[in-house]
Amino acid sequence: MPRFLPLFTKALTDSWRSTLAWALGLTAAIMLYLPLYPSIGGNSQMQDLINALPPEMTKALNYDQIATGPGYTQATLFGLVGFLLMSMASVGWGAAAVGGDEESGLLELTLAHSVTRVQVVLERALAILVRIAFLSVLVFLLVLVLNGPSELSIDVGHLAGAVLLFAALALLSGTAALCVGALTGRKIYAIAAGAAVAVLGYVFNAVGRQSPDVAWLLNLSPYHWAYGNSPVANGADWGAVAGLLGISAALIMLGAVALQRRDVGV
Amino acid sequence: MTQAIVVEGLRKKFGPREVLHGLDFAVDSGTVFGVIGPNGAGKTTTMRCLLDIIRPSAGSISVLGQDPRRAGTALRRRIGYLPGELHLENRTTGRRVLEHFAAISGPVDPRYVNSLADRLDLDLDRQTRKLSKGNKQKLGLLQAFMHKPELLVLDEPTSGLDPLVQQVFHALVREAVEGGATVFLSSHVLSEVQQAADAVAILRDGEIVTVSTVDALRTAAVRQLRFISTGTEAHDVGALLARVPGVANVALRELPADGHTAGTVEATATLSGHVQHLVQELARLNLTDLVLEEPDLEEAVLTLYTGSSQGNDNGHNHSQAIRTEGAHRA
Repeated sequence: MPRFLPLFTKALTDSWRSTLAWALGLTAAIMLYLPLYPSIGGNSQMQDLINALPPEMTKALNYDQIATGPGYTQATLFGLVGFLLMSMASVGWGAAAVGGDEESGLLELTLAHSVTRVQVVLERALAILVRIAFLSVLVFLLVLVLNGPSELSIDVGHLAGAVLLFAALALLSGTAALCVGALTGRKIYAIAAGAAVAVLGYVFNAVGRQSPDVAWLLNLSPYHWAYGNSPVANGADWGAVAGLLGISAALIMLGAVALQRRDVGV
Repeated sequence: MTQAIVVEGLRKKFGPREVLHGLDFAVDSGTVFGVIGPNGAGKTTTMRCLLDIIRPSAGSISVLGQDPRRAGTALRRRIGYLPGELHLENRTTGRRVLEHFAAISGPVDPRYVNSLADRLDLDLDRQTRKLSKGNKQKLGLLQAFMHKPELLVLDEPTSGLDPLVQQVFHALVREAVEGGATVFLSSHVLSEVQQAADAVAILRDGEIVTVSTVDALRTAAVRQLRFISTGTEAHDVGALLARVPGVANVALRELPADGHTAGTVEATATLSGHVQHLVQELARLNLTDLVLEEPDLEEAVLTLYTGSSQGNDNGHNHSQAIRTEGAHRA
């Protein structure tokens, strides 16, 4: 009997080790960062120290907002460590999904069996989405657990919105990697594309925040689309959610069409 | 008789470089068709076109009556494919690899999988990364055969297999054909194909040099002949051999008398074509020893590869048929 979504289930079961590793990494980051808030963000001496830093630096690191619990969580977890870990996981999965699979020679035999190429791209993209959703739910729950003990005072609804943007932003890097892998069949190009979305998004945000002259860079930064209005403090910008998910969907479709049209394994 | 594969005017370009220059061939249903050619001749490219892994630049392909470009998944379920460069996942077992392919190309009878694994002497529960090249190849064969496809496309199937397992492979091919399947296989060595194939296409530099039956190649190819006769003068033995069509390179040697009858002669020669005349003539002699070797098809084909009409010392008498068919390439 043909199994339901065989490529999807295989992609998930094959990657449980890496999913678990990223989950452990995120858990460790959250456990290390958030309990420090009462002694950092709420501490007036620490605030003095931050005030003494060059304003360019505090803006680049989003440390201008760490005086509040939501701002601290936004800047340290969603804006930095969590963003870094999630982007790396997502880009790795996206690059492996088609580009890496083709380069290692495995895709040829899969395609020789009874699957369509569109199906390969869609099922594997779905598997990435599910893994990112899993990690995001984990992050949501951990922050929720620490909300009280770490005196973060985060609104649960706002946290949910922020986690949604966190997931959508990571997904975008992953789908960019998936798309370029499907276009080129090369893992390295796929990783470069996914990393570029994450890194350039971060850099454009950091630079764009420095002065009104370069503020236009913010418009090019998916990072800024997601976090520009500090969702942990203010709730999700639903336009940004729709935009990020929409672009990811378009990248997946583009990858599927591209793979459908070209030679594989040459 | 229906045709499982019909290829007409197949061309494939990679960028500016054309690697297939218009192939035409057809494979009858229920037969074994071998493609032989050196590495880079275009065997793998041709097979990948049949599976719709790569797309032709020009020409038409029909596989089991359908265009692989349009037929979609239902057609590929009816095909078993072994890629020329087999890559398997590392962190898994053979059984799980097969289960996955069964999930996407099934239905597969698990008992049949186990019986194939037994016959090929393959442990399905070992980690794939620990498998030798030969054992990986067995796993590749298993995934191609396990859903009992109507068409098997096997790229260098015997590569890495030891002779015993090659025999099992040939048996599997015979059984598949007896069950109505068609087999399309390739090799760079003719000897691997001649045992299995009914017809052979010889591919060189992206063009088919000739399509021939193995029987025809066998007839065309050259055999080594050696015998010892007694009671006939060397001169007469030479005259007798000269009457047989296809005999060449005759060398005669009088063996020293050692108490036997006078006139012990050792003769060596080459024979191309049928053996009938030779056997009739030899029946006139009093033979004490006779060796008529397997025809060296390899040698016959090699002459085609090199494009020269000259073989080695024994090979200059190659078949006219092959040479004229190959001549249009010059």
